[in-house]
Amino acid sequence: MRYFSRFHPLVTLVYFLTVIIFSMFVNHPVMGIIALLGGICFTSVMTSSAEKVSDLKFYIPLFFLISLTNPLFSHNGKTPLFFMNGNAVTLEAIIYGVGIAVMLVGVMMWAKAYSFVMTTDKFLYLFGSIVPQLSLVLSMVLRYVPMLKRQAKQVQKSQKGLGMYSSDSYFDRAKSGMRVMSAVVGWSLEHVVETSKSMKARGYGLKGRTNYSNFRFRKEDGLLLGIIVGLFAMIVVCMTTGALTFAYYPEITPIKTNPMALIAYICFAVLAILPFLIEIGELLRWNYYRSKI
Amino acid sequence: MELLQVKNLSFSYPNSQDQALDGVSLNVEQGQFVLVCGASGCGKTTLLRLLKPEVAPFGELKGDIWYDETSLTDLDPRVSATDIGFVSQNPDAQIVTDKVWHELAFGLESLGTDTPTIRRRVGEMASYFGIQNWYHQSTDSLSGGQKQLLNLASVMTMQPKLLLLDEPTAQLDPITASEFLATLHKLNRDLGLTILLVEHRLEEIFPYVDVVMMMSAGHLEFNDEPDKVATSMKGHPLAAGLPSAARIWAGLDLEPPCPLTVRSGRDMLRVSFSHLQGERIPESPTQSSDESDEVIAAADLWFRYDKNLPDVLKGMDIKVRRGEIFGILGGNGTGKTTLLNVLAGLERPYKGKVLIDGKKISAYKRNAIYRNKLALLTQNPAAMFLKKSVREDYYDLLKTMEVGKEEQDSQIEDVAKTIGIESLLDSHPFDLSGGEQQKCALGKLLLTQPEIVLLDEPTKGIDAFAKIMMAELLQALRSDGKTIVLVTHDVEFAAQVSDRCALVFDGSIISQGRPNDFFSDNSFYTTAASRIARDIFPNAILCEEVIALSKGETSTVQAQEKTVQV
Repeated sequence: MRYFSRFHPLVTLVYFLTVIIFSMFVNHPVMGIIALLGGICFTSVMTSSAEKVSDLKFYIPLFFLISLTNPLFSHNGKTPLFFMNGNAVTLEAIIYGVGIAVMLVGVMMWAKAYSFVMTTDKFLYLFGSIVPQLSLVLSMVLRYVPMLKRQAKQVQKSQKGLGMYSSDSYFDRAKSGMRVMSAVVGWSLEHVVETSKSMKARGYGLKGRTNYSNFRFRKEDGLLLGIIVGLFAMIVVCMTTGALTFAYYPEITPIKTNPMALIAYICFAVLAILPFLIEIGELLRWNYYRSKI
Repeated sequence: MELLQVKNLSFSYPNSQDQALDGVSLNVEQGQFVLVCGASGCGKTTLLRLLKPEVAPFGELKGDIWYDETSLTDLDPRVSATDIGFVSQNPDAQIVTDKVWHELAFGLESLGTDTPTIRRRVGEMASYFGIQNWYHQSTDSLSGGQKQLLNLASVMTMQPKLLLLDEPTAQLDPITASEFLATLHKLNRDLGLTILLVEHRLEEIFPYVDVVMMMSAGHLEFNDEPDKVATSMKGHPLAAGLPSAARIWAGLDLEPPCPLTVRSGRDMLRVSFSHLQGERIPESPTQSSDESDEVIAAADLWFRYDKNLPDVLKGMDIKVRRGEIFGILGGNGTGKTTLLNVLAGLERPYKGKVLIDGKKISAYKRNAIYRNKLALLTQNPAAMFLKKSVREDYYDLLKTMEVGKEEQDSQIEDVAKTIGIESLLDSHPFDLSGGEQQKCALGKLLLTQPEIVLLDEPTKGIDAFAKIMMAELLQALRSDGKTIVLVTHDVEFAAQVSDRCALVFDGSIISQGRPNDFFSDNSFYTTAASRIARDIFPNAILCEEVIALSKGETSTVQAQEKTVQV
């Protein structure tokens, strides 16, 4: 999702929240299937073929596992198909299991897409525009943790090269770990003094600090945000008319096909496939431009 | 126009009788590139830090500092933050944030600059320093040289008028360091930036600068143009740090002007000594080390850090003879440090075997190999210490080695005497200078009484004088019968101490030999002295050798030629 990732973090965050909320909390088979298909489209663009194979190996068994678990433990429903160990296995429970599997796998796909697009710096940026101080602190923590780890590793190695702490006993190892930790803590205190000087040298503490980010809110961001909010509103309006009410138990209710329901399905389908469309559109556009050169 | 004026400045640290600075007066004009040098502890860092109020040390200060006709005490903090940039020696400790772009913007954020201006300034500096390719990376993934460049660039985004640098290349390898210094030269030339640089690596920077200030014991000893300083330093104890051309010139007692670059050094030799063309350093007559007595023998080593990562060692063969100093050279990322770790048994190759003293490394039980056999000094001497003082740290090691209480003190005294650190034993390891830390770390290693000493970059961050001490120390250890393998970027140092040198490239050793043959074959990877003298004295690689050959004293060279004691 190279093109979709380029949108402003606020827009992508709103997008993911909308899609994930609908697919998790609207318990409706059509909506679930749309979310799943959209998620598959999205992840298929961002994974390599090797990853696709390993994803299939993971998600297909998971899908069946979830679908089969429900009828084994839940015996609600009006239509028993057969009896197992004296318990009824019902049609409703099987369908509900499949529905839950569709929902869960779909949400997992979207979560994967989220983690791909919403990287830490985007999250920090959004967070930082609410609480600027905290975002600097978080950024410093993210800088410090890997550095401490590296130093600890170096101390460990240096000591091992002298023959300290290479014995196998657990007691010795725990003790050596403690000593390395205390040395690293001492080192980091020393380090912090210098870092704070470097901050001061570059004017930290002067009045009126601003918060810089690489992100710009462009026209396209506004447009996409408008589309997302519009689709969201349409679906919510349809929902209030009861177009998306659906129940598995005690008996599966029919899926509605009145105009309101159809509008909701179409809106959600457009929403779920939006990043995929953007991606394909940009690719086509690029190929078109290149063919003209 | 004078940008900076220091008038009769004296400074002493709290709880100290000594004056760190004693009546220093100096002027720096706009656009000048000033080099401040001197031995460790001469007060050069103190002076530099006093010029930047935010990082100035606490203590008693007398005298005045004027920046741009304002006394530093009256300077608006906003002006001092923007106008005076400061870069210190530790690349890691200066970086505040986790992303390169954020680090570049940090100073401007502090000043409250608006986003479009920050974007422009950051973009401009990133492209000037060639940072755009790693602009979005995390700061932790950068190399030491990149980190230091980032520190410089993130100061430059604030558009300072005066740049202060405190040994910025101390933690860098020589090649990265010379790139960094060339960048400073470029900044001075392109932007007319006034630079005050404290540095001990003089070979390359000397010809670039306008003024050299040499400090000793808290006062300015010399303050003049570089060639004049080099001329008046003839016979001075700090002259060892001067560029090779100047050292050869001083050793030969020639007429001024004193040459500072390889090119002018070559011209000097061509003019005065072309009649001696072809004179050679004689092969040392006795091949004293026993070639078959191999204390380290490793064949066909293959190693990678992870299944999915490329090989670091690719069919590496290495043989080290008993009682020799074996120098391993090579660029960054060629596998030198990895090789040392494999030889020390800290990493295990997936193919090939390492024999230490004829016995497989895996055949040594637990830590038997680290007892009286082999010890490794890693690149970061600060990582060697765990305790609050050097002495406590030594006790700690001896305790784990199960040395009796009575013997501990005498062993520590012995080692301290051998390497000359008696006065440092009670200091906190982090309070020592780079050279002192390196020596104390070496002392700790010697307590294990190893036969084989493996050293990773023993000259990193130490000045010319400490380097000479280190060379003498290694030679003394060798005459005690120890075998030393050292990995270094420092070509001069390797040429000076090694019995044999090897060049690592692409995971294996591509050439090795005695220093005089080895370095005279290389045209780039060789000493400055060799580059100066190669047309006339083909195999001279040290300043002393060039001087001796020019004077026709080959016999003394021969006497100095290292003999290996078995």
